Amino acid sequence: MFLIIKRLWQVNWAEQWQYRANLLMYLLYWLVSPIIYLAVWTSIANQKGSVNGFTANDFITYYMLLLICDQVTSNIVIHTFGYKIQDGSLSGELIRPIHPMLTNGLVNNIAFKMLTIMGLTPIWIILYFLFKPDFSSVSITGILLAIPVMLLAFVIGYLLSATVTSLAFWTTRVYSIHEFYFALILLFSGQFVPLTLMPKVIQDIAQYLPFQLLLYYPIQLIRGKLSAEQIMQGYVMAFIWLGISALLFNWVWRNGVKRYSAVGA
Amino acid sequence: MSANSIFVEQLSKTYQVPEREAGFSAAVRSFFKRKYKDVKAVQHVNFTITQGEIVGFLGPNGAGKTTTLKMLSGLLHPTGGQASVLGFTPWELKPDYLRSMTLVMGQRNRLSWDIPASDSFLLNQAIYRIPDDVYKQTYKELDEMLELEPLMKKPVRNLSLGERMKCEIAVGLLHRPKVLFLDEPTIGLDITGQARIREFLREYNKRTGATILLTSHYMADVTALCERIIIIHQGQLKYDGGINDLSRKIAPFKLIGVRLTDADSHDLSGYGTQVQNEEDAEKRYIQVKAEDVTRITSRLLADLPIHDITITDPPIEDVIEQAFNQ
Repeated sequence: MFLIIKRLWQVNWAEQWQYRANLLMYLLYWLVSPIIYLAVWTSIANQKGSVNGFTANDFITYYMLLLICDQVTSNIVIHTFGYKIQDGSLSGELIRPIHPMLTNGLVNNIAFKMLTIMGLTPIWIILYFLFKPDFSSVSITGILLAIPVMLLAFVIGYLLSATVTSLAFWTTRVYSIHEFYFALILLFSGQFVPLTLMPKVIQDIAQYLPFQLLLYYPIQLIRGKLSAEQIMQGYVMAFIWLGISALLFNWVWRNGVKRYSAVGA
Repeated sequence: MSANSIFVEQLSKTYQVPEREAGFSAAVRSFFKRKYKDVKAVQHVNFTITQGEIVGFLGPNGAGKTTTLKMLSGLLHPTGGQASVLGFTPWELKPDYLRSMTLVMGQRNRLSWDIPASDSFLLNQAIYRIPDDVYKQTYKELDEMLELEPLMKKPVRNLSLGERMKCEIAVGLLHRPKVLFLDEPTIGLDITGQARIREFLREYNKRTGATILLTSHYMADVTALCERIIIIHQGQLKYDGGINDLSRKIAPFKLIGVRLTDADSHDLSGYGTQVQNEEDAEKRYIQVKAEDVTRITSRLLADLPIHDITITDPPIEDVIEQAFNQ
């Protein structure tokens, strides 16, 4: 299995380098919305002193950390796999004795991630000097606690996106469904606005959804804003959602493959 | 040992294809209520293939050949019937099954488009768990037959169709499959390339005892490789048997070709149906029933100033064409 992963990595890594222009567009896309939120919220906080207790520096540290968390926990499986189901190019992968989504798809996403992280690092450093965040509340313990949960969140997010992507076996309109799914992420992950600033009811719902694990939870953990009880609760939710997303994906994939029509070739 | 390698019983596949008329209002209507049409791609097909056989799978476009191959390789779930290949139900996609068969399709399949073929080869070595020494040996054999080495370093997208096909076949055979499903394996190749692939497949079959089911539009592939053919038309099995028996069963005709000393002056319509043959314009051909050959030949020899006479089977293409139309 190790050799398979190694060779898959070599192939995918080499492939990623072929799409430099594509990569640049993704990078811009990824940067634009957090930087806009960062700029907008900071200027509001600057005018009013704070927004519901969130100071300008809170917003800066929040969104600077969000840029990092987003890199780790997000995935692009809808873009790398959706079309394969629709145009039949999945065929070649489906008859290989390894799971397409859980091997090649996963490695492909990680290879892409590595490359975007390489591209993002200098930009992040420039932003750091531009906004001069005060990271004094960040602790090593917070970071160490956040790393495993971010990896878990990546796996959960990947399985859920892979589930949505697998709906392509049923419908050709899978991208619209994914847009809706993405809107849920935007709202409940804390990307649009830190969850503490949301109405109480949204915060209550978000607690039980997996999306806050992608951004809000690890960011607040690193910023040292979570109580021991909240940290525990986050970890419990992460493991529960890991189980749910694995079962869900397995079920949708197994039934989807039965409907695969291997069009084209 | 002559175990059954492929066993197919009442295999059927019906596709549901959405259909709507052109125009704006039809588009709106179909948004709320989709109409589907059933397309019966394969209907109640039965056959059994013994281990080590090479069988040609023929039929016009849309006959259901590729659909059948896709079901047998596990890509498609049938809507009815059963199949078993090497004891496995293909569409369960068991890794042990996938490791013992291959499906080669005309289009890009196993090769990654943007990187050199050699990377895809190494990836497949790992995926199919091929030990290094076996891999090297197999690669050497494939390289000897197909001359792969010059192609290996170029990105696959820069290869010609024929070069890509060679690589597709080679990468599909690295794991030495016991069953080969080949959909148009010689498509895009020049005459030498086609002959090479044929020779290679025959050799592979002889050496490994692998079962091969292939479709091709090049009749030469079929006549060179297959003793048995299966003909399918509109999803239904039309013929299953020896390639030599086909003409006897479907078209029990012979072609008599004559070269006359004074070419155009004689009317041959009294002897049988005259047919055109582009390859040999000098000769004139008449098609007669097999049982009448001796009688008509002696009449021709007695009546006409014959320079040369031949008696042949009609071309297999024509026979198959006739089988489709029945």
